[in-house]
Amino acid sequence: MTDRTTTSTELSRRRFLQGAALTGTAAFLAACGPSGGSAAPSAAAPGASAGAETTAPSGGEAATPTGPLQFANWDAYIDVEEDGVTSPTLVDFETEYDVTVDYANAQIEDNESFMATIRPQLEAGVSTGWDLIVLTDWMAAKVVGAGWAEELDPANVATALANVRDELKGLPWDPDMKFHFPWQSGGTGVGYNSKSVGRELTKIADLFDPSLSGKVTLLSEVRDTFPIVHLALQAQGQASDNPPESMTVEDATVVHDYLKPLVESGHIKAFTGNEYLADFGSGDTWAAIVWSGDLASSAGPDDVFVYPEEGSMIWTDNMLIPKGAENKYTAELMMDWVYDVDRAARLANWVYYISPVKGVAEAITALDPEAGSNPLLFPPPDVTAKQHPQPTFSEPDELAVNELYADLAGV
Amino acid sequence: MAPGLLWLAVFFVLPNLQMVVMSLSTGSIAQGWTFAWDFDNYIGAFGRFPDNFRNSLVYGGIATLLCFLIGYPLAYGIAFRGGRYRTLLLFLVIAPFFTSFLIRTISWRILLGDQGPFLAVIRDTLGIVPNNFSIIATPLAVVSGLTYQFLPFMVLPLYVALEKIDRRLIEAARDLYAGPWRRGGAVAGSIGGAALVAVLLGGLGYASFEGGGIVGFLAAVAGGAVIGGLIGAFLISESFIRVVWPLSLPGVFAGSILVFIPAIGDFVNVELLGNPKSQMIGNVIQNRFLQQNDYPTAAALSFILMAGILIAIFLYARVLGTEELTGGRS
Repeated sequence: MTDRTTTSTELSRRRFLQGAALTGTAAFLAACGPSGGSAAPSAAAPGASAGAETTAPSGGEAATPTGPLQFANWDAYIDVEEDGVTSPTLVDFETEYDVTVDYANAQIEDNESFMATIRPQLEAGVSTGWDLIVLTDWMAAKVVGAGWAEELDPANVATALANVRDELKGLPWDPDMKFHFPWQSGGTGVGYNSKSVGRELTKIADLFDPSLSGKVTLLSEVRDTFPIVHLALQAQGQASDNPPESMTVEDATVVHDYLKPLVESGHIKAFTGNEYLADFGSGDTWAAIVWSGDLASSAGPDDVFVYPEEGSMIWTDNMLIPKGAENKYTAELMMDWVYDVDRAARLANWVYYISPVKGVAEAITALDPEAGSNPLLFPPPDVTAKQHPQPTFSEPDELAVNELYADLAGV
Repeated sequence: MAPGLLWLAVFFVLPNLQMVVMSLSTGSIAQGWTFAWDFDNYIGAFGRFPDNFRNSLVYGGIATLLCFLIGYPLAYGIAFRGGRYRTLLLFLVIAPFFTSFLIRTISWRILLGDQGPFLAVIRDTLGIVPNNFSIIATPLAVVSGLTYQFLPFMVLPLYVALEKIDRRLIEAARDLYAGPWRRGGAVAGSIGGAALVAVLLGGLGYASFEGGGIVGFLAAVAGGAVIGGLIGAFLISESFIRVVWPLSLPGVFAGSILVFIPAIGDFVNVELLGNPKSQMIGNVIQNRFLQQNDYPTAAALSFILMAGILIAIFLYARVLGTEELTGGRS
């Protein structure tokens, strides 16, 4: 009950806030609109100017932004206006630097399949066609480890270096932020349509209630689905005591054996990436394992996210510049751009994920006091106490777990 | 000849050689692949995915059959009754295909969805299926998608074959007392109708042989036999069986191959319309390549699929004996 995060009143608050942000509250929005040629873009926004000044190339003639910036991201991961297309964050960036951004929304549906499309180019040492990509910790670590990420010029990402939250620094795979900056962090938990389900779901185990047969989807991301179900089985005393972050192949096998009959019976309809948003929209999916912010930002008013009682996952998606990117400097500018506190607040408050930027809490609270206590943006202590990072598997273990997943997915 | 051979060498032989080499390699994505005559990849590929091979064959086969059953009367109607609207009618057959493949498949998700118009009619208005009946995420949805996607590939060759037929031959047949095909049509139609219903129910997983299921199954088969028999007895003439049908066989052959090959290797329809139990071999190949980074197994599966299709076509060509396609005596 206490974990329930998005009620319809909150949602209407969000709609209101969105409207407010788009029309009046944020002056820089209006000033930096695509046709707003009257105001000098960089000077117009009090909040944006600090960031803009630090990011301006310090005297280097060579460093002019080039474009179009090819930016691949996940679905429901950028602020958009009511038309569903225009993103204030991107439009402001385009105006500021006079460069086009080709933002490929939902280009990435899961880490593995996106990597498969660019791995051959990275191995061959040619451009992938992307300038900026967003990958989850474990995959970002692999990419950096393989030497497939461009090293960032600290001068171009000064705002980001200054503003990134301390707890996101010092990761073993990139301790000094030489290659990556976090885009957003988020949780993995249970999402459901309250109208179709007809009651409140509070647990992972609720997904496997017979009344939801044929209306349930799980994530194709094995590092979410397996540990989440492991948590549910632990709570029922059916799994080992290993925490999800250090779960073993044996634990994954237990999860597999638990899920297999549910797949066979048709209870679990599919394993999806962000496509679950479409299935919630069409009413074909009633309940699913989902990522925390998506339903609040991009689904209907009855679609709610809960941090399950058994616990949930926490992860971070990271911006990287793939080796050979044609517009590296512009990509660095974009990394820096979203680390401006006010822009980060606007972005986080739209996508409903956890911002990696220091001071965003204050900025959002200033925008709307109620948002400062939104558990999607700021998970409360009783939630964070039960949050686990995704497991890291050794290479043979990863293969084994992937095979277990493939068997469940029927491929 | 030479440009054609060069084309084949660059775009068919070379990629296939690369695929064969990969299918016999060992290693991993991290360490790289080494060629090792590793035939275990083939044994593994064969043994591990029997359900997916079966799904591919069954769904691809049923889709081809349905394409034929829908496409033949359609092509026949356009060719013999289309008159001056023929071109327009053919255009209408192809018109939906100016839309992207993906958009069309996703539209089927909406049409067949639990809140979609199709179930709204048969479930909510007519009430002939139970409340928890779903079409999306079932083999029926997959086969519907496949049938729809590949229908023009059946209609166009059939139309070409039918349109070419000399009408004087039909008149001559009628003059020679080729009238309605009453008795033969009734027998052939009943057998065909019963077989079709049995294949559909069995192949799409609706047949149940427990309790009352067997009765329902037999009733449905009997219904199919009656309808098929009526069609055979009253709609099919002897001039059709003796003249039009044999002359249209090259079209049937070409059409069914053009449908069956892409249908059997398809993975998009299952991805969007199927469930974990209806995954086809194309999905396995896709998963091996893109998710598991298991290139050798994926290559071996692709090769098995290709070889299987080639053998099937060879046998099919022998049975139907189409000289036109094989360039034989005429």
